[in-house]
Amino acid sequence: MKLMASIKKEVLLLLSDKVGLSIMFLMPLLLVFIITIIQDSAYKMVNENKVSLIISNQDKGAQGEKLIQLLNESGLFELQQENDLQSAALKNFLLDENKLTALYIPANFSEKLKEKASQISQTLTFELGLSEIDQNTPEVKLPNLDFYHDPVLQENYSYSITNVIASFLNVIENELMIASIYTEVGIEKSPEDFKAKIMSNKIVINRIPAKNDEHMINPNSTQHNVPAWTIFAMFFMVVSLGSNIVKERVNGSFLRLKTMPTNYTHILSAKMIVYMMVAVLQFILIFSIGMLVFPLIGLPKLVLPSAFLAFIVMMLMCSLAAVSYALMIGALSKTQEQSNGIGAISIIIFAALGGIWVPTFVMPEYLQIISSFSPMHWCLEGFYILFLKGGSWSQLFPVIGFLFIFIAVCQITTYTKLKLEKLI
Amino acid sequence: MSALANITIKDISKKYKSASFESLSNVSFSIEAGKTIGILGPNGAGKTTLISILCGLIEATKGSVSYQTENGDTISGIALKKIIGFVPQEYAFYHELTPVQNMNYFGSLYNLKKEEIKNKTDSLLSILGLADVAHKKINTFSGGMKRKVNLAIGLIHSPSILFLDEPTVGVDVQSKLSIIDFLTETSQQGTTIIYTSHHLSEAEDFCDQILLISKGNVVAEGPTKELIQKNSTDNLQSLFIKLTEAE
Repeated sequence: MKLMASIKKEVLLLLSDKVGLSIMFLMPLLLVFIITIIQDSAYKMVNENKVSLIISNQDKGAQGEKLIQLLNESGLFELQQENDLQSAALKNFLLDENKLTALYIPANFSEKLKEKASQISQTLTFELGLSEIDQNTPEVKLPNLDFYHDPVLQENYSYSITNVIASFLNVIENELMIASIYTEVGIEKSPEDFKAKIMSNKIVINRIPAKNDEHMINPNSTQHNVPAWTIFAMFFMVVSLGSNIVKERVNGSFLRLKTMPTNYTHILSAKMIVYMMVAVLQFILIFSIGMLVFPLIGLPKLVLPSAFLAFIVMMLMCSLAAVSYALMIGALSKTQEQSNGIGAISIIIFAALGGIWVPTFVMPEYLQIISSFSPMHWCLEGFYILFLKGGSWSQLFPVIGFLFIFIAVCQITTYTKLKLEKLI
Repeated sequence: MSALANITIKDISKKYKSASFESLSNVSFSIEAGKTIGILGPNGAGKTTLISILCGLIEATKGSVSYQTENGDTISGIALKKIIGFVPQEYAFYHELTPVQNMNYFGSLYNLKKEEIKNKTDSLLSILGLADVAHKKINTFSGGMKRKVNLAIGLIHSPSILFLDEPTVGVDVQSKLSIIDFLTETSQQGTTIIYTSHHLSEAEDFCDQILLISKGNVVAEGPTKELIQKNSTDNLQSLFIKLTEAE
């Protein structure tokens, strides 16, 4: 009865905490929507949408046109030719037109490529003993192409585009070189058949996610973001539960309770039960949105892992870790401001280190070591094992082990602090 | 278990770990069941420390407190917690809830039945003039109303002993009179009241017995009227000034 009364009281307090409820339920919903939409559109931009590319082709030969043809045939770009613009003017045009990228092909592009191909083929035929070589011929310097991009375009994205252009330049250079070798050895027959054979036998690279369950859906923005932001939201309960405990300690309620025929176990158990329920509700709400609402707005649908029991265990472990952390912050803080401040900032740091925003594998090695102290890292790791790799129980053991230690440390710290304050 | 007969406090001293002097020094007195005792003194005299020791919130460095029944049995532990009511100086309840929700919660911790809680809540809130706001959130209440809620919660289980730490601090005159009237009525119904205040005039009419303390030492102890007469003073305030002048 005492436990039920305490649970009822906690529910009433929670329902009256509108700010806390918003932080725990509305904020993660907004975040999961916004981040998934952004990541999904970034994915589509790279993989489905064409990149706008303005080209100024000043080349007097045919190779400039050839490059444009290859770019066009790739289907990756939406080309716009502005051949009357010089390099500097092209940059200004890009800025004025609010486009993403521009490419300037200089006047001597074909000429220099041919010269270079000829020089290489001469060297090759000389090495094979098929011709003489003029040792005094200076090294041919290839012309530079100017690639302009909007400064807002991320570095890795513009790097990918230049790589694509570079791969087409390789094609052109190879073609020219083959033609030049044929000419050098005095074969008049057109090398078109041979060139076609060389160019057509490209090796295809298969992209295969390494996962245990072959029926598992391929990783996408939803599978990454829904678990990540749910974990973030759960830990943000520190703002509500932490200040709830500080209030009771500071306003004398704990003292009053100490004079009553009840004990600490009832009071903290009630808080833990109610906030565990909150965490589970957060899971159900955000996961339901991922499964039911995301497909309606064109986002990938969230697919639950087949290891459902392991999923439930992970959900409960993460919830208990979040609740225990909030209890500890509430017990250690002297004021509500302290609890809210330390709680919120520590959660943001845990999230950053734990890979909620940026995957941990892109972090420097020392940060990766530090990140393993973030409970969110282990929560996220657990869900990634289930959601992206189709992992098994044995793969989850280290995750569950760390979370168990984290929960124990938080609970013992809370108990010790309240005991030292003679509140229990 | 037979009813509470008296409370005996013997040579209580308290020194906090961080303090350089004792907050209480060899305090001894006894309280007869059903009486009202005022533990009086200026701010920092040691009143809250003494009341906290009496209701078991903190332990004395030395000395003892004993609660005895008519049969001479000692009451302690859970049995003692069931018969005491504590009203701290702070508003020790949930401001986001209504008075009724608070009373329901604290009443449940005494294992009271729903019906009992309801009847007692209705009665207390009505006597204290809070019936109209029984279902309104307390965070909209004035200081006086909050004091009354604090008091009502301490009485939800009809305790035999009621500890009140500065129950009228920070409230207006009307609320103060209303609280004192209510406490007088509660005392007349047989509840032992142990009350701290630095308002000496307030305690003069209300307390059967007083314990005047200053800097942790007992300055005077005994029936209120008797002490005033014995020291040939007009009132408690004059008595206190007279007794502490020498310090």
